[in-house]
Amino acid sequence: MIFVSIVLPILAGILLLIAPDRIFKSRQMLINMTAVSFVVCALFPVLVICRSAGNTLLLFSLVDEIPVFFAVDTIGKIFAGIVIFVFLMAGFFSFVYMSHEHHEKRYYGFYLITFGVLMGLCFSGNLVTLYLFYEFMTLVSVPLVLHSGSKEAVMAGLKYLFYSFCGAYMALFGIYFLYKYAIAFNGGYETSGHMLGFVAGGSLDLKAVAESGSTGLCLTAVFLMIVGFGVKAGCFPLHAWLPTAHPVAPAPASAFLSGIIVKAGVLAIIRTVYYVAGAAFLRGTWVQTVWAVFAIVTILMGSSLAFKEKIFKKRLAYSTVSNLSYILLGLSMLNETAFTGSILHVVFHAVIKSALFLSAGALIFITGNTKVNDFMGLGKRMPVLFWCYTIVSLGLIGIPPTSGVVSKWYLAVGCLESGLTGLSWIGPAALLISALLTAGYLLPISVRAFLKETDYEAMRNDYKEPRPLMLAPVVILAVVTLVLGLYPTPLIQLIQSVIAAGLF
Amino acid sequence: MRETFTAVLFPFVMCMIVGLMSKVKSKEKKTFALIMILAGAWELVLALYLLSCDLRGIGIGVFEVPGVGGLGLHFLYTGFRGIFGVLTAFAWFVTALFSYEYMKNDTNVIRYDLYNLLTLGATMGIFYAADLFTLFFFFEMMSFTSFMWVAHRQTREALYAAGTYLGIAVAGGMAILMGVFIVYDRLGTLAFDAMYGRAAELMMSGEDITWLFVAAGCMFVGFGAKASAFPVHVWLPDSYTEAPAPATALLSAVLSKTGIFGILLITLDMLPMQGSWGAFILIVGVVTMVAGGIRGVMSGNLKITLAYSSMSQIGFILTGVGMQSLLAEYLMAADAAGVEGEAASAIIEVFGLAINGTCLHMLNHSLVKLVLFMAAGVVFMQVGSYDLNQVRGFGRRKPFLLITFVLAAAGVGGIPLLNGYVSKTLLHESIAGYRELLAQSGSSLALSATPVMMKAVEALFLFSGGLTIAYMTKLFVVLFVEKNSDKKVQEAYDAKREYASVLTKAAIGVCALPIPLVGLLPNLVAEPVAAYGLVRFGLSELLRHQQEHVHFFALKNLSGALVSILVGAVVYAVVVRFMMLRGLSAGYKGYRDIFPSWLNMEKYVYRAVLYTAVPFVLGIISRILDSIVDILVVILRKTVYSDRELPYELPEGNRVTHRIGVTMERVRLVYCAVMRKEYTPKNYAHKLAIKEIDVFENFRIIERSLSFGLFMFCVGLGLTMIYLLVVN
Repeated sequence: MIFVSIVLPILAGILLLIAPDRIFKSRQMLINMTAVSFVVCALFPVLVICRSAGNTLLLFSLVDEIPVFFAVDTIGKIFAGIVIFVFLMAGFFSFVYMSHEHHEKRYYGFYLITFGVLMGLCFSGNLVTLYLFYEFMTLVSVPLVLHSGSKEAVMAGLKYLFYSFCGAYMALFGIYFLYKYAIAFNGGYETSGHMLGFVAGGSLDLKAVAESGSTGLCLTAVFLMIVGFGVKAGCFPLHAWLPTAHPVAPAPASAFLSGIIVKAGVLAIIRTVYYVAGAAFLRGTWVQTVWAVFAIVTILMGSSLAFKEKIFKKRLAYSTVSNLSYILLGLSMLNETAFTGSILHVVFHAVIKSALFLSAGALIFITGNTKVNDFMGLGKRMPVLFWCYTIVSLGLIGIPPTSGVVSKWYLAVGCLESGLTGLSWIGPAALLISALLTAGYLLPISVRAFLKETDYEAMRNDYKEPRPLMLAPVVILAVVTLVLGLYPTPLIQLIQSVIAAGLF
Repeated sequence: MRETFTAVLFPFVMCMIVGLMSKVKSKEKKTFALIMILAGAWELVLALYLLSCDLRGIGIGVFEVPGVGGLGLHFLYTGFRGIFGVLTAFAWFVTALFSYEYMKNDTNVIRYDLYNLLTLGATMGIFYAADLFTLFFFFEMMSFTSFMWVAHRQTREALYAAGTYLGIAVAGGMAILMGVFIVYDRLGTLAFDAMYGRAAELMMSGEDITWLFVAAGCMFVGFGAKASAFPVHVWLPDSYTEAPAPATALLSAVLSKTGIFGILLITLDMLPMQGSWGAFILIVGVVTMVAGGIRGVMSGNLKITLAYSSMSQIGFILTGVGMQSLLAEYLMAADAAGVEGEAASAIIEVFGLAINGTCLHMLNHSLVKLVLFMAAGVVFMQVGSYDLNQVRGFGRRKPFLLITFVLAAAGVGGIPLLNGYVSKTLLHESIAGYRELLAQSGSSLALSATPVMMKAVEALFLFSGGLTIAYMTKLFVVLFVEKNSDKKVQEAYDAKREYASVLTKAAIGVCALPIPLVGLLPNLVAEPVAAYGLVRFGLSELLRHQQEHVHFFALKNLSGALVSILVGAVVYAVVVRFMMLRGLSAGYKGYRDIFPSWLNMEKYVYRAVLYTAVPFVLGIISRILDSIVDILVVILRKTVYSDRELPYELPEGNRVTHRIGVTMERVRLVYCAVMRKEYTPKNYAHKLAIKEIDVFENFRIIERSLSFGLFMFCVGLGLTMIYLLVVN
């Protein structure tokens, strides 16, 4: 089942790519078939998530001790769930949006492949498998960035590749070193003992590390892995690709990139820190401090750049940079509350940011404008779209009753609980300053849209609400933002169960 | 108790219903206005029911709505909350009555109604909150929904004002949140009752409580902004002016009280008995009181005068809050020093005065401001302006307007027999009493206030009372005594008999009614209400045995009012009559705003800092951080990994062969020179170039062959093997 859920989308994508254009007699037919394949591909991972038994799979062994191995645990399920949800939303949105782009087939093909690879990433059971899929993901998501084929897009794609590989090599370097100290485990699975598997609480042989006197080396290795995987999560100092690459992709792809693919970096860091190295190993070390400082710098930097940015999608991309570091800051605190906050923010940010990118996409699709000041007075023409935009904006700022306030609460309290000198209160302060800036860069757009009258009213009369297929995903995402804000208890309980498995 | 939650939820439900109706039904404005009145009435019934339950002692307990927002919402409705719940519902009810006429020509009335309902729900949530999280939850909601009041008219000015309002509200909200984080971290709880216990415990055990002060400071920024306390009041004049009159009445009468409520909670529950905090609040209160008063006197606009009047009165209330804290500290210190009997009960008595005065002044101010802002709304409906020169003479021959306005203006001015006199006397008595206590005890107790400071506070208190009288006299004279400079306009004003509908008059009248009631029967009406409205429930036990009534009409108390009236007369004569009233054009005198415009804190401090300076500095720093790696890459490309162009195109070979060839040529030249041989050029560069072509052609053939691929594969395997061998 796991295998199917990974391979089916990839196969479907490849089929779509190699199928000659003439098979699809009309655009409608292409879309219908793609829609079916989206739903079918999403169905299998949903089944995997729902099933409690039989959730491991040993595919084959690279080396005796390092198999390509899948294991579905709760944290993987949370990530997979959110991937599926956003995949479907952005996917259905793209059916309308892509009608004014070329090479639709290629786009859907790579989109499906990326989805399959992401499933592999979520379900991977050891670090090497994770790394494999991580690299695949970089490769298959490049075409999404390159899609428009303009010079800007190509340069952005190259930059994306460059930074991703930089990060991946750092991570690989770290994996080499950690491998030596990993304990062979069979983690309760029926497979034989193997290395670098994910164990809640860490699989490093701390005793061996201490005896061999290579604590410093291991810390450096973990640090490199954090920075390396942090590239995908847009963490300072290697974040510069994100604001370049995300905005040039087509809007639904931006939503998927910004909402989901960046979370792959987060998942990789969670796996490294909490499932391989172990929180106890890092607590109180320089790695934790430097990591938290990087996160705080990124939070403030991303927000203030977004505040200054005038191009809508680029502004959202900077906002992603900032928000992902909320998550990283929470993870770096290495305590339960902050971890809860981080995972909550993973979910909320995925929902909110994809909604934001989709509404930006809808606006660009309808008006053809890309600057933030171009949407004055449009609120009356597209009330539903702008209401959704406003709701998710409030969510990102963290205004009750939307969801953002919940995650921010856990993150900030977690920071204060951590007891790190200085950082424990600079963290929450940074979160709040960033929230203030978030209000500054998101709200004026809806205020202008709703309250400012435009001078050239007549010209805009033909702007109408987007088509239902385009509007529905945005509405659903906005409603989810509200509902999760009002009643996040089930999600919190789910995360508590992750923690209860012995993460700390 | 479930009804508390119902009272909070009801407006939200109504909002949904109205929202749906506006989509489905034809947009009959009257229907919606009626619905609003009914909603307000029902909310009032709910609040009154809760109050009666509290009086009968039914279901006093925290009602929890689990899970919402992660922590769950908690509601409580006793004491202070009950009174202010009723006040809120009442204010909404009367403004709904008022809006029936006032908003009838408005194009966006349904939007206004929707946000009105949302704000009502949020405000009820604030007053019924039982913990800080619930308070914050609804406080943020209220800030955002009331934003639409300010932006309602959608003009340039309205949007400017709304921008400031939102900016301060969001910043304040974040500051509150920071405070809440710290409190949660330090005290481990957010429930107000438990907070008090923990904080007291911490203080008793002598632990470091600097953090609590930091938290309180953060929260003060947010709550103080809503209450319009001095340094964060900058949003007030513009927002009050731009919002529609009923909304302004609510902003002043109810929303400012939510800020005060927050400050009261900080003062009493988070930092109980901390005199230094009390002194801080006291100083802020005095500054707010005086600054608001001065601006109020100097303004040439009806609504702005009322807005600053609101700020000044908030200053009075804050002074009362500060006094409560100082007196609590004194009580503790006296208790520790072993003061008992007569002396102790004297302290408790003064303490009681401060508490009652604060609560009562809040209520009085709400009632008075409802009347005044609605009266101003009536003027605006007919005149279309708030400019004093325009509205001049409007009130002549309008007895209803005259009576209600005078009641409210004199009431807030502290004229005896009206409500403001009672609360101001209580506050004044508490200050004077505290000063006397300080003088008695001398320096035997370590306290945060000094007699000199209290003397100054008392003087400024009376001075501000005088300012209140001065600007209220100004408005009264302008509206009801003077004639408009334009004769025709005055005639039109005089001819206006039907200047307000029955509903509007009812709304104003209902609010004006309690003003003399409280003032005439202070011991019967005012004191029990004030004593009931305690924020800290536990205090009632302490204050129960203090039964002695204040003699409001004793000479001692009347003299305070007299001083204020005298000051008011002098200020009015000097500032308004002499400085403000100037000849604007030939033959007629008009009012002008004499406050220097360069003292505009909002424009020159807040906007400059928040909207320009901070983003600029942050932007520069971030831009540098953002491009560090990119710059590094560029530098690397320019230096180490440079793809420098050749100076000229080579005819044959590549750069390597060319270089080697030229070098060999030179070596040969040197060699020949040293060996004294004849030099003949051999053109190595050309030879090498030909060789290079040769080699590369061969290489390309090899490269394309399968065997080469296999070979490379073997090399790879070999390297892997060596690596594995070395590592293991």
